[in-house]
Amino acid sequence: MSMRVIKNEFYMDSTISLALFRNVENAKEVRQNVMNGTFEGALLKTSMICDPFQVIVAANRAIHLKRQNKMITKNVHSEILFCLSPTKNISDSFRKFGLADNETSVMVVVADDIDGSTMSAICKCVKGELSDVQDVIHLKETKLIQKIYKIPDEELVVSKLLDSILSRISSKDVLTL
Amino acid sequence: MEDESRNSTETMPVLMKQGAEAKLYKSTFYGKPCIIKERFTKCYRHPSLDKSLTAHRIKSEVRALLRCRMNGICTPTVYFTNMENSSIYMEEIEDAQTVREYIQHVQAKESNDTANNILKPLGVKVGEILGIMHSNNIVHGDLTTSNMLLRGNPVELDVVIIDFGLSHFENFAEEKGVDLYVLERAILSTHPNTEDFFQTILETYKKYNLKSSAEVVAKLDEVRLRGRKRTMVG
Ligand SMILES: Nc1ncnc2c1ncn2[C@@H]1O[C@H](COP(=O)(O)O)[C@@H](O)[C@H]1O
Repeated sequence: MSMRVIKNEFYMDSTISLALFRNVENAKEVRQNVMNGTFEGALLKTSMICDPFQVIVAANRAIHLKRQNKMITKNVHSEILFCLSPTKNISDSFRKFGLADNETSVMVVVADDIDGSTMSAICKCVKGELSDVQDVIHLKETKLIQKIYKIPDEELVVSKLLDSILSRISSKDVLTL
Repeated sequence: MEDESRNSTETMPVLMKQGAEAKLYKSTFYGKPCIIKERFTKCYRHPSLDKSLTAHRIKSEVRALLRCRMNGICTPTVYFTNMENSSIYMEEIEDAQTVREYIQHVQAKESNDTANNILKPLGVKVGEILGIMHSNNIVHGDLTTSNMLLRGNPVELDVVIIDFGLSHFENFAEEKGVDLYVLERAILSTHPNTEDFFQTILETYKKYNLKSSAEVVAKLDEVRLRGRKRTMVG
């Protein structure tokens, strides 16, 4: 299992595609291709991802907001980055959760890539190793995640890190931290 | 490329409980066991008022669940809130029984004194949780032994608090006193001979809510008196 295509559970005509690349040599070029619209997708910083489920929960929310015409950002892929982030500051969300030019691994998320053409284009562009999506759990920076999501130590006594993150993603519109 | 959508087993939501404010369904959320809590419309309320009240209650509930967790109190993880259908999708706490079921089970098996001894550590745990909740100004609003789950082996005292549908966030001793009163009534009316159990909860509560417990307990006494007067008259 390398890439994953997940059927959206709330919108039958929608999907969430995930891919993980390691040993990436051309992060800058890949990012530029997204910026200039050659292909559309969200490029995530792997150090901020605790588990693929975190990305599914954020993408599910972003697609929902898109379908309800309630997005805060300009397209569904920037909305995925924004949904992942606990802050309401858009550029801060992009900086903290988006791929940086000097990084060597990336988690790619594409919403509604029904014919798989976007993922194929991205695969052609990335100079790196396509890895099992689940392997992202080995690339996380726990301390940084805890700091950015503002998770107190006493919380982690009763809550798994992933659950703490999910609680924040799903509560974002009802809570200011 | 692997397509998970082809082999995923579609699980239909199964109705678990029809309450006064919400329906509870058992389902899955992207493969994880989940409980859907769907608030429904009240026909007697004005539609737009009803919509904003419902949105307000959902927000309070999600906020209380997170605030508890941040303070070291176990609550179900929220996966998704959908304001369009007034639903909260949350983690299903698996391998759990309600505190109500557990107390009934212990009392059915043991003599009064033994049961009280067995239940004492649970009383301490519940008192600790409520003390922490109230010292952080989280008022549950519907404390009963059915709204507390015991996960795994009961001796582990892994207590998960659920159903924050009536919760609010405030710093009034009155509200906290009523919260405790509701729990006391729920415990004493559901479970015979549990005066000691509630006393244990209250004593531990005081230790964990140092700031305001004196005021809260005074309010509890006041509310008890009011309650008693009402029953004498009625
Ligand atoms: N998140 C949950 N996980 C497991 N069981 C639950 C959950 N929420 C509610 N329940 C069960 O459903 C019953 C009714 O829930 P409630 O209406 O929220 O008081 C509870 O007594 C529990 O047995």
